[in-house]
Amino acid sequence: MSDQSETINPLDPLDTMNTMRDASLKAWKSMRDTSLESWSKMMIDTVNSEDYSQITGQWLDTYLTLSQPFRRIIDTMMTQVLTGLNMPMRSDVTSLAERLTNIETRLDDQDAKLDDILSAIKAVSVSKPVAGTSAKAKGAR
Amino acid sequence: MSVSPLPMTSTALQDELKRIEENTRTLLRVSTSRAKVGQTPKQVIWTFNKAKLYRYIPVVPTEQRHKVPLFLVFALMNKPYILDLRPGNSFIEYMVKQGYDVYLLDWGAPGLEDKELKFDDYVLDYLPRAIRKVKAVSGSDEFTMLGWCIGAILATIYAALRPDDGLKNLLLLTAPLDFTDKKAGGFVRWVNDQAFNPDKLVAAFGNVPGEMIDYGAKALKPVENYIGSYLTLWDNLDNPRIVESWHAMNTWVTDLIPMAGATYLQLIKELYREHRLIQGTMIIRGERVDLSRIRANLLNVIALADHISPTCQSESIMTKVSSQDQFLLKVKGGHIGMMAGSGALKYTWPHIDSWLAARSE
Repeated sequence: MSDQSETINPLDPLDTMNTMRDASLKAWKSMRDTSLESWSKMMIDTVNSEDYSQITGQWLDTYLTLSQPFRRIIDTMMTQVLTGLNMPMRSDVTSLAERLTNIETRLDDQDAKLDDILSAIKAVSVSKPVAGTSAKAKGAR
Repeated sequence: MSVSPLPMTSTALQDELKRIEENTRTLLRVSTSRAKVGQTPKQVIWTFNKAKLYRYIPVVPTEQRHKVPLFLVFALMNKPYILDLRPGNSFIEYMVKQGYDVYLLDWGAPGLEDKELKFDDYVLDYLPRAIRKVKAVSGSDEFTMLGWCIGAILATIYAALRPDDGLKNLLLLTAPLDFTDKKAGGFVRWVNDQAFNPDKLVAAFGNVPGEMIDYGAKALKPVENYIGSYLTLWDNLDNPRIVESWHAMNTWVTDLIPMAGATYLQLIKELYREHRLIQGTMIIRGERVDLSRIRANLLNVIALADHISPTCQSESIMTKVSSQDQFLLKVKGGHIGMMAGSGALKYTWPHIDSWLAARSE
């Protein structure tokens, strides 16, 4: 930018236009940032107000109440369709996943026990050469 | 985005059009694609249901490495790769280079079959199993646990329930633990409003959708999150460093996961509304969570501009624990920016490292 400003010719209309455009863009940007900042503060105050909490809480409650019958209808229809097609339902998949988790829990318990056994074996194998060494030492005497 | 001088010649016009085309392409790329994240080399050493435990490949020779492994626990409703966002901006990469044996617990995304999971399950099933694996692989009976956001709640509860399990150092980052100030932050106000019914929400969805949690977090600062972020990108489209950083962060922000319904209910009712954790009345599988049982060395890191967990929610634990060695570190930045922003590498990470290095031998 500094190189460009050095070569600006004030008598050249295009250079003057460039300078004017840069200045107006800079001013617009600063105005934009200032207004965004004040807008942001206002919005933060709004979302932190009791009124906002109440309105969003009520809106969510209304949405959940109104959508409940539709969700129930869709669930019933899906169950009928899947049963008719002899396909597993959501509850079937869920219970299968739960069973898998139970198996995984048992596997992890076995893994823990294996780790304990391995560390016990390691401890024994470390103590054995020591015993052998002491026997050799006794023999030497 | 910088502005070029008005085109004076056909070549200048061509250059200007080319620049506009490139910027448009960049804008499209970063707003519609996923950045490459979590690139620090790692291996999965344990899995349990949806959870995975990663061990990061050490780059420092064994004899120069810190003896106590570092175990990272992130929040339940976001992906943990924020700790390993991209090369040069990764806490994990930094700590691995500092000679730590780093482990990360990724909770995964709960399915409908996991809707009954509670804090009880995460703290007394998942954490002890993952910690056992950390100990087995590292060969160390002691470990450091770092919890961030909801991960800090889990780490705190674990530290209180299992103080003799080898936990040497406890690091809490932006930990939302004390909700007694009913005017501190939007979340506290929203969830305490009588009109908000968490039971109805969970009954409808099973697990709380990630989009809903994301809306809650973004709505706390709507202008910054919905407009400011994109304006920052627009203004810096010709700065590859900022563009790539924005891309990685946007990838993380839009990578949403749901929260198990029962955990959400516990969080809202027992923690936010009834303050059970900070008041020592929380019961986890029949055991009372008594914060005074925490004896591990404690580093509590608080972000001064945190709008999700205001400072008052994280500070009071310092007076509740029995840790002789405790330090409260206040850093500039927000809930996420504190650890993943541009200042993290210069301030937060070196502070964490210098505190932890002295306690990891």
